[in-house]
Amino acid sequence: SDEEEEQGTLKWKEGLQQKASAAFLRHQEAAPNLRKLVYGSVVEAEDSEEEEEEELGGLFRVNRPQKSKRVQANALDCSHFNPDISHNWDLEEMLNSIRDCFVTGQWEEGQDAA
Amino acid sequence: MASHGLTYEGCNFLRQRLVLSTLSGKRVKIKNIRSKDDEPGLRDFEASFIRLLDKVTNGSTIEINQTGTVLVYQPGLLYGGTVEHDCNPQRSVGYYLEALLMLGPFMKSPLKATLRGVTNDLTDPTVDLLKSTALPVMKKFGIDGEGFDIKVAKRGMAPGGGGEVVFTCPVRKTVRPVQLTDPGKIKRIRGVAYSVRVSPQMGNRIVESARGILNQFLPDIYIYTDHMKGANSGKSPGFGLTLVAETLNGCFLSAEMSSTPQGQGDPILPEDLGRNCAKLLLEEIYRGGCVDSSNQSLALLLMTLGQQDVSKVLLGPLSPYTIEFLRHIRDFFQIMFKIEVQKPLEDERKGGDKVLMTCVGVGYSNISKTLK
Repeated sequence: SDEEEEQGTLKWKEGLQQKASAAFLRHQEAAPNLRKLVYGSVVEAEDSEEEEEEELGGLFRVNRPQKSKRVQANALDCSHFNPDISHNWDLEEMLNSIRDCFVTGQWEEGQDAA
Repeated sequence: MASHGLTYEGCNFLRQRLVLSTLSGKRVKIKNIRSKDDEPGLRDFEASFIRLLDKVTNGSTIEINQTGTVLVYQPGLLYGGTVEHDCNPQRSVGYYLEALLMLGPFMKSPLKATLRGVTNDLTDPTVDLLKSTALPVMKKFGIDGEGFDIKVAKRGMAPGGGGEVVFTCPVRKTVRPVQLTDPGKIKRIRGVAYSVRVSPQMGNRIVESARGILNQFLPDIYIYTDHMKGANSGKSPGFGLTLVAETLNGCFLSAEMSSTPQGQGDPILPEDLGRNCAKLLLEEIYRGGCVDSSNQSLALLLMTLGQQDVSKVLLGPLSPYTIEFLRHIRDFFQIMFKIEVQKPLEDERKGGDKVLMTCVGVGYSNISKTLK
């Protein structure tokens, strides 16, 4: 049973590389063409409305107001930008990623004051 | 379509729509405003905003149906002059001021608006933030001169309010096109730690913790403490911090945080607030660009209204609010921006992806400005 357990725990490691590359490709496809995102048609909103048409037992319609376009249209009018992903600014790695934004960071060649 | 104006749904982006409608002179109809809500129709703060808009214009007609779910706005001329307004405390003065900043330069006579209400809250950009970031953005577009200022006469924290802000703005006939493609490096960080109706020591505690994080990058950091007393301190206690990073090319990136309003949510320690706010500033620097995230729409509007020449501005990632603003600009002014993503080089340590926005201005001219 020891072996089985070991196999079980190692199962998630199978095909990690394929999984990673698949995820990367998916991400690439999802990488938004900004112009399309901004000026493209409002396909997204229509899609979500279609999903709403779920029926329960052929009698009731599931109403998910949180998802519908109308609620988004009636959301809070606010200009603050709160992105879903925020970085962990306790990590040295993150701090390093913006070092050159400051005058104390590395300068491009030819721009160095010295 | 054009003669009947534009039609939208829902209460979101109300300010954008009314501001662009006023500037373009196009009628706008907004229907289904919270039509499925338990309390349908416009809220008090929106009514207050519409009233303010009515004060700075001349000859606007506003029709609202009985339930408040349909609004029809036929803009009049931007008049300006001296205006006083009691802003509804459901939203802070920043909510109202954001719209006035967009309209101010295009008035008939210079605007002097005295706005009373909540000066600092968690939802909207605070007046301190707008003062230190929106004004420099507008100056880049040639909107400058004596008496271009936002003055916090009295501070009023949410929920009580009781603050007072004076916004003065000169008028311009035209707007200058800009080329803001390189923000330059950040040379210094400034900030204001404000506190009212709490111990003045709160300010110092905020400053110390924020400095602890920011000093890893720069030595030139100065955070002012602003403690208002007596009649100037509003009705509710609270404190907060606004941080602004200034670059060599005169671009400003900002972040801010306020304490939770009295009696709502968990209270926050000044030390935590200082640290979190400093991290928010790092996040904003990571996003980068020549205009910070809260002023993207303002910059894009001024680019649209510029002379018939190419304007370029480098921005960080577009916020959802800005994306909607771009769509509205297309509706009202038929301008579409060229949007190019700039990925950072491999060994560059300058944060994330940037977006270069390019457009040719519509050559907007302020015809109501009085000639002297």
